[in-house]
Amino acid sequence: MASFVRPALLRQTGLASASTRAFSTKLAAGVSHSKPAASVLSRQAVRSAFAKDALPSSMRVAAFHAGGRQQILPPLPQSIHGTVNDAAPVPPSDPSHGSYHWTFERLISASLIPLTIAPFASGSLNPMTDAILCGAILIHSHIGFEALVIDYIPSKRLPKIRLLFWWGLRAATVLVGVGLYEFETNDVGVTEAIKRIWTA
Amino acid sequence: MASLRTTSRLFASARPAFRTQMRTMASVSTPAAEPEPRTKTFHIYRWNPDEPTSKPHMQTYTLDLNKTGPMVLDALIRIKNELDPTLTFRRSCREGICGSCAMNINGTNTLACLCRIPTDTTQETKIYPLPHTYVVKDIVPDLTQFYKQYKSIKPYLQHSTPAPNGKEYLQSKEDRRKLDGLYECILCACCSTSCPSYWWNSEEYLGPAILLQSYRWLADSRDEKKEERKAALDNSMSLYRCHTILNCSRTCPKGLNPGLAIAEIKKELAF
Repeated sequence: MASFVRPALLRQTGLASASTRAFSTKLAAGVSHSKPAASVLSRQAVRSAFAKDALPSSMRVAAFHAGGRQQILPPLPQSIHGTVNDAAPVPPSDPSHGSYHWTFERLISASLIPLTIAPFASGSLNPMTDAILCGAILIHSHIGFEALVIDYIPSKRLPKIRLLFWWGLRAATVLVGVGLYEFETNDVGVTEAIKRIWTA
Repeated sequence: MASLRTTSRLFASARPAFRTQMRTMASVSTPAAEPEPRTKTFHIYRWNPDEPTSKPHMQTYTLDLNKTGPMVLDALIRIKNELDPTLTFRRSCREGICGSCAMNINGTNTLACLCRIPTDTTQETKIYPLPHTYVVKDIVPDLTQFYKQYKSIKPYLQHSTPAPNGKEYLQSKEDRRKLDGLYECILCACCSTSCPSYWWNSEEYLGPAILLQSYRWLADSRDEKKEERKAALDNSMSLYRCHTILNCSRTCPKGLNPGLAIAEIKKELAF
């Protein structure tokens, strides 16, 4: 219950400020978001948090997004490196994380299409094609999650959490790889499993 | 109307015989009654750096569309002239060639001078600064990082050998045609600030506008530093944070296609 009430309360404090047309957005990062005082919450406000239809939907959306505490990783105050006339630094060339990586990623993605169709088109369930399919899916999803980590966990701001997710992802990939190996060698294999579920 | 009367009066004084006739014509063309006012509501993002403790808020203005020009920039200028001189925004050319008045109008990044005011007066128009930018004041965004990144791609012709004719570097018509759709970019930052990838990683990712400019110099037959330009982009952040979301191509007020330019760079780097 408590976990349900808390976001509702936050939303309500957002509404209290919304009534004075004071929306805080991410836009003005220079402005510090003052936390709404708890005394703002009258009983009336708490009650109306559950009566959702009392407010137009746009106001509710705005109030939800206006809650300062709901921001994950809010933007820092602006900092300019060097003078405004200096060019942004150019990172060193690194093709193995750039063009080679991209080409490899696209080759894996493209190869997944024939690999997915092959076992069903040929009609035979070769353990070799099955293993290649599993490997390709594993690498494909690893690269996908890797992009997520790079996009959403900036290494400059959260270096430790970045490392944690980095190694967590690698551990997960290895674990899934081991699991798939076991499944392929000791059980029916991925294609056969999908086939059985499909026809079940 | 006033100008018409003046002309007719001059005309009439020059030729007195027509005076009565001219007056009749003038009175005929005078509208009988004022047209029904078409009141449109605008909500505009306001934040004043002189009061850093007060939160940004939306301020509401109402205008009669009959007395306002057709574009959102006309409305903004009229609000500043007649309703609230403290409203701050950038504008210059009023014809979509300077890129100053880029802002978020009804949820879309566009140039206020190229965006018509929706004539449906029941709908309210909302105007915000470009999303995920540091705001200088009201709807003026800070584009320092954007310009610094533009500078980092060396947006000029790099040529070490002298021109064959001693005067200028020539280009065939076919080579010149490759730059169509690239050179028209006015760097208004509408596309870059519509890109979620640029929102999260604007420190390192160059963003669609700057990558379109990168490709403009990569595609130029006269440029001799292609390999250096490619090497500068060949890392995990500068170029490859593009995940082909294509908000850039959708929002571009000039109708360009930054998404295609980025795809071309990726192809050039790949093979």
